[in-house]
Amino acid sequence: MKATIFSILFAFALTMGAAQAQDKEVKIKTSAICEMCKERLERNLGLSKGVKEAELNLDNKVMTVKYNPKKTDVASIKEMIVKTGYDADGVVADQKAHDKLPKCCQKSAKPHSDMKH
Amino acid sequence: MKILYKNAPFRGPLPVQPIWLLFLTFFVLTGSSVIAQRVSGVVYEISDGKKVPLTGANLYWAGTTLGVSADTSGSFSIPRSTQSNKLVASFVGYLNDTLAIGAESEVEFVLRTEQSLNEVVIRGNSTTLDRMSPIQTEIITTRALAKAACCNLSESFETNASVSVSYADAVTGSKQIQMLGLNGTYIQTNVENIPTIRGLGTTFGLNFVPGTWIQSIDVGKGAGSVVNGYESMTGQINVELQKPDSREKLYFNTYVNNFGRAEFNLNLAHQLNDKWSAGLLTHASTLRNRVDNNGDGFLDLPLYTQFNGVQRWKYQGEGMMAQFGVKVLHEDRTGGQTNFRPEVRNNGTPVYGFGAKINRVEVFSKTAKLFPNQPYKGLGLILNASLHDQQSYFGYTPYNGKQKTLYGNLIYQSIIGNTNHAFKTGLSYLLDDYNERYKDTTLLRTESVPGAFFEYTYNNLDKFTLVAGNRVDFHNLYGTQFTPRLHMKYQLDRNTALRLSAGRGFRVSNPLAEYFGNLVSSRTVVFREQIRPEVSWNYGASLTREFNIGDMSGTWILDYYRTNFQNQLIADAEHPGFLYFYNLQDKAFANSFQAEVNLVPVERLEFKLAYRLFDVKQTMGEPYGESVLLPRMMVNRDRVLFNAGYALPYDKWKFDFTVQWNGKRRIPNLDPGYDHTSYMNMPTDIAPAFFNLNAQITRTFPKWDVYLGGENLGNYRQSNPIIGANDPFGQRFDAGIVWAPVVGRMIYAGLRYKIIR
Repeated sequence: MKATIFSILFAFALTMGAAQAQDKEVKIKTSAICEMCKERLERNLGLSKGVKEAELNLDNKVMTVKYNPKKTDVASIKEMIVKTGYDADGVVADQKAHDKLPKCCQKSAKPHSDMKH
Repeated sequence: MKILYKNAPFRGPLPVQPIWLLFLTFFVLTGSSVIAQRVSGVVYEISDGKKVPLTGANLYWAGTTLGVSADTSGSFSIPRSTQSNKLVASFVGYLNDTLAIGAESEVEFVLRTEQSLNEVVIRGNSTTLDRMSPIQTEIITTRALAKAACCNLSESFETNASVSVSYADAVTGSKQIQMLGLNGTYIQTNVENIPTIRGLGTTFGLNFVPGTWIQSIDVGKGAGSVVNGYESMTGQINVELQKPDSREKLYFNTYVNNFGRAEFNLNLAHQLNDKWSAGLLTHASTLRNRVDNNGDGFLDLPLYTQFNGVQRWKYQGEGMMAQFGVKVLHEDRTGGQTNFRPEVRNNGTPVYGFGAKINRVEVFSKTAKLFPNQPYKGLGLILNASLHDQQSYFGYTPYNGKQKTLYGNLIYQSIIGNTNHAFKTGLSYLLDDYNERYKDTTLLRTESVPGAFFEYTYNNLDKFTLVAGNRVDFHNLYGTQFTPRLHMKYQLDRNTALRLSAGRGFRVSNPLAEYFGNLVSSRTVVFREQIRPEVSWNYGASLTREFNIGDMSGTWILDYYRTNFQNQLIADAEHPGFLYFYNLQDKAFANSFQAEVNLVPVERLEFKLAYRLFDVKQTMGEPYGESVLLPRMMVNRDRVLFNAGYALPYDKWKFDFTVQWNGKRRIPNLDPGYDHTSYMNMPTDIAPAFFNLNAQITRTFPKWDVYLGGENLGNYRQSNPIIGANDPFGQRFDAGIVWAPVVGRMIYAGLRYKIIR
């Protein structure tokens, strides 16, 4: 019983230690509009392979992504953004994905209230 | 103050008088304060962990058009309003904050960005404490529910220290919960504020709320609010289901375990237009595999199939909110000896079988009139009708029951003068029609109970909150019942809160449905007298403190509750041949003490350690004309719970581990030669203490979650859960003495798929 508890605690410690590897950072300009876009993009990127952290600044629409260069690269990160339905720097959003977004998150949407001024 | 006194629809019986006196004192105190003409203050935001003034925020009195803007230093000054005492600070991109303004003239707002709230919700701890509620309330979130991937409400409390699951018997598979040392029947269990698991539904009711339907569970300890009725004695649990206007358009879950249990859940939420939405919750599960791991010739788990669904519609307009829907359930269980088949029952074959077929239909509606300009005001109506039909048998003994229920609750809430003084009042009606048949006994009962309630809330800047309520119910069989309840919360400092509660509870018991597990035996059921309703008084105190040690944050909770019974249903299983039901002759009480620490040493890592002590006694001995105070059977004195959880960012990986230690408990004397002749100095049997270990790992992908877990990993089993298993039609057969898991280690795996709007 004790051994089980210890091994599980040990597993926790291991996973926490592993997070300290050599990470790279990239900034990508997106076509995000509101809080909903932010949540969607951060979640999708955050859960994709090799991504450690993803944060979107809604003021300038720039996404800051921390990633492990051994597992992913900038092109794949941009592709993820595009497939979610948003522009990523020069790459235009996947039209199908974009059209599936709620109205308020589509590019034609006017800036709206839940956005920071 | 006079207004309230006059409007109070009734006055309590003698014990309530001090409450009204207390009221009076408070009104006098608050009334005498001198109040300045203007309120001024500063609006801040948190930036890099520091408070910085926020320029340009709007301030207005709730429900009025009276407002000002904060200047470049975040300062403002606003004249007092006679129409409202709730001052709202709002700013684009930030969450509104509202302060109830009392006598003070200087206030401070700290606004949070909307984004920081999202983080709180997404990364928040699994069990949160409702900081505002004067009743000590723990909220179990979807996140905590995901820790126990299986299966229904009875398993949802696995990581909760206040509620524990008890094992009813070794055959039927029904599970019961326990709080403050008393059975789940003493807890009022509501689904979206409609009393749901009650009456004949108590036997399997917890299995009728699938885990995937649940959005959150509120667990309130001690006496509950009078608004929901008189039945809550040790606490109330309210379950909120997934909403039709949820952002999760589609949610699919499938689950399978090593015993062969398979489960499917599909939830749909569809926004029809701006105002209308429709939601569907479905569940199907089955176990077709015959499991007898302990080799006693009996199925460890009954074979069963359940179909369960809710369809509902919701309308959300500016001044009106409405919801209505229908719930249906069908369940079929078969247990008993491994070679039993329902088809051959009544053939005279000497094979012991158990069966239960349950059909349930329920329709409900909830309507609320809102007053957009007076957010404190509301008028709501809850209507519910249900039909519960259960046909079961234990060996050759049939037990059938039917319950028809009508429930209506009309609630009006508003304020007296200003929002420091709020009240809820209303009318309720409950109709219960029971028709039970056990062997050759028929039990018929129709309860018709109109009632009225009034609940007053005094809130002094959230520092001190007092809730005093009373209700009067005119019971057609048991006369007029008063149910006074009082709750107080005092914020000792920013991080420490003291809560006190007291209140009366009243309920009419259903002995056969509540002690269903004991019917799986050769005991003869004897009603020693006409069973009267149960009446209890519950008193409690709790102390909660939030603390920080360096970067570590945490909370600790200490609480003590006592339930005193004026009448209690005694289910006496001391004599191996009988199950006696009788009224309490003298004393019965339950003391509960709990200490709990929650710790978050680093982000996304949580620990919980809790210890709970019960001292539960009841007076027994009526069958022999004796009166002996005995520890309540099957209740363990000590319990320790430890839970550890760790998640990676965005919950990419989640790990969870729980260990429980359940202490010794008194059980009926199992000596085959035991001759029960007296309750005095009778020999007692004690069941040993045991550990229970659960663990789970979840991996999250953008649309999928995959989970793998185990319950009872220590593989602890009660060695002989069925007494006389080799002779089920003999004198000594009893499957109702179960205090530990009957099946061993359980490993499960499943996946969830969701489409979020």
